[in-house]
Amino acid sequence: MYVRIFAAVWLLVCALLAVVAWGFQAPFSYDPVGPRAYPLLLLFLMATAAIWLIYKPGDADNLPISWPLARKVALCVFALFAYALLFEPLGFIVSTSLVGFGLGLLFLGRPLASLVSGVLMGLLLYGLFDYLLDVPLPLGLLAFLEN
Amino acid sequence: METLNFLAQGFDVALRPINLLVALFGAFVGTVVGLLPGLGPINGVAILLPLAFALGLPPETALILLAAVYLGCEYGGRISAILLNVPGDAAAIMTTLDGYPMARQGKAGIALSLSAMSSFIGSTIATIGVVLFAPILANWAVAFGPAEYFVLMVFAIACLGGMVGDKPVKTLLSALIGLGLATVGVDATTGVYRFTFDSVGLSDGIQFVIVVIGLFSVSEVLLMLEHTATGQQAVKASGRMLFNFKEFSFTWWSSVRSSLSGFVIGVLPGAGATIASAISYMSEKRMAGSSGRFGEGDLRGVAAPEAANNASACGSLIPMLTLGVPGSGTTAVMIGALTLYNITPGPLLFEQQPDVVWGLIASLFIGNVILLVMNIPLVGLFARMLSVPTWILVPAITIVSVVGVYAVHSTTFDLVLMAALGVFGYLLRKMDFPLSSLILGFVLGELMESNLRRALSITDGDLGILWSSPITIALWVLTAIMLALPGIRWMRARRAKAKLVHA
Repeated sequence: MYVRIFAAVWLLVCALLAVVAWGFQAPFSYDPVGPRAYPLLLLFLMATAAIWLIYKPGDADNLPISWPLARKVALCVFALFAYALLFEPLGFIVSTSLVGFGLGLLFLGRPLASLVSGVLMGLLLYGLFDYLLDVPLPLGLLAFLEN
Repeated sequence: METLNFLAQGFDVALRPINLLVALFGAFVGTVVGLLPGLGPINGVAILLPLAFALGLPPETALILLAAVYLGCEYGGRISAILLNVPGDAAAIMTTLDGYPMARQGKAGIALSLSAMSSFIGSTIATIGVVLFAPILANWAVAFGPAEYFVLMVFAIACLGGMVGDKPVKTLLSALIGLGLATVGVDATTGVYRFTFDSVGLSDGIQFVIVVIGLFSVSEVLLMLEHTATGQQAVKASGRMLFNFKEFSFTWWSSVRSSLSGFVIGVLPGAGATIASAISYMSEKRMAGSSGRFGEGDLRGVAAPEAANNASACGSLIPMLTLGVPGSGTTAVMIGALTLYNITPGPLLFEQQPDVVWGLIASLFIGNVILLVMNIPLVGLFARMLSVPTWILVPAITIVSVVGVYAVHSTTFDLVLMAALGVFGYLLRKMDFPLSSLILGFVLGELMESNLRRALSITDGDLGILWSSPITIALWVLTAIMLALPGIRWMRARRAKAKLVHA
């Protein structure tokens, strides 16, 4: 079922993108193809493949969903997006400690151990990247420490 | 003779202290990434690539690092295959069949050292193959025009569909998604913004690093949630740690044969190490006949797939270096790495960047020796890495991935895009879409479009140029064969089934 749903959604996406792509026009160009033809060709081929999959989704389509797992996946996705969004505002050390703690719990670490490993990773990796490897990372909340 | 001179020049590059150090580091990291179940060469290369770039390593050094990681993964995959019965990377699946029984019989040390040796034989034979054939192919490919290139890329994508076999439509759709993602951003020829939806972050396209890390590392983190509760115990490696001469000579020809077939399979675009090890295992099993004990701990069953997957990893560098068309997902990432340095892989690479090409080839020889030396005595240390708990491992992977993406542009937008692509990649993987073809499509996308448009601007829009030269016609025929393969296989299977019903 999921492959069918995905293929149907993808077909819809293709249609919408095709509408968007129809508007790609260069004001003037010496190129006979232009910016529109190639994306439209790709969208057409993708739509064909999607229709095929709606018709013939294959064997993997009957796998049952495990709800406890789906809940965990949702939590993990939430943690990832939260990390991405808070990375700059909170700074590397704080956000990394939080995500190290959260993911540690999610992957069945004991609370205290996850907390310690999260904070340690935040501090050690900041040192490693910012000082040793010269990859600049945001300080965020801890910016006052710099002065 | 000329080749030897270039090779000497390559060794000159590869033996510079920084490059040796990087090869050593890459070999170590590669082995570790390879042995951790779930993490394969693409993840290893993807995580290290942005760091190499951010560190400002010169292109040849970065490439040597990535190649060492790639090779190291093929070495590392066998450790968990033998000790845990879990392949560390996809190419080591075949190694579990005989490696784990050997470990259960108390011969883990022999299996590990012998497979390290056959890995070494495989990569060495294939690297010699690269030295012999890559310059020839590059010379020949210089004659390729934009039309030939376009058709070659169509062929590479068709190869994926034909080779991966059981799910050709899914494979092609993921390749198309990759090609589509590559059209996002400003169009190079006309300056028109495509699929950017007025977002500044998308205006110069989706960064390669974000796609690779999102699709592979982030989705891997989500996939690992399924294996949080595994308390699998590794078999203790005990007894004799080194194979003896009799065992070595018993497997010698299997290793050589598998190396040669692995090399050829690696050179073909699309067919990678996984297929190579499966084919060579099967053919060794057939050749041994009833005298073999395949599946119960036959030495050849460990030697053959390991030789083949290493050989194919090296072989897949040929299409990457000479044509700019990757032979596997990992080489696709390496091509992306080269483009970060504004180096366009292709036949001219041999003339314009001899340091990069020959330094890389020479580093393969060196990396191999490092890996062999590292893998036989240190196998105990590597085996201990298997007991790093996931609640430390997964956060560490996540953090390093995020730092890698952040190092490119330092924007929150990129991080969010990475997470979104990770979820997308996870869904695709759950539905059995091969992601390596998506990344191949993404890497080829821009080249493919620009070659098509260049070809058509030569003839002012006449499509005839796409099938006007003998090379293009031959490639179209091969493409048609590749696309027909799944259909033929399906018909055969149906006929065999029909026969079974009648009988």
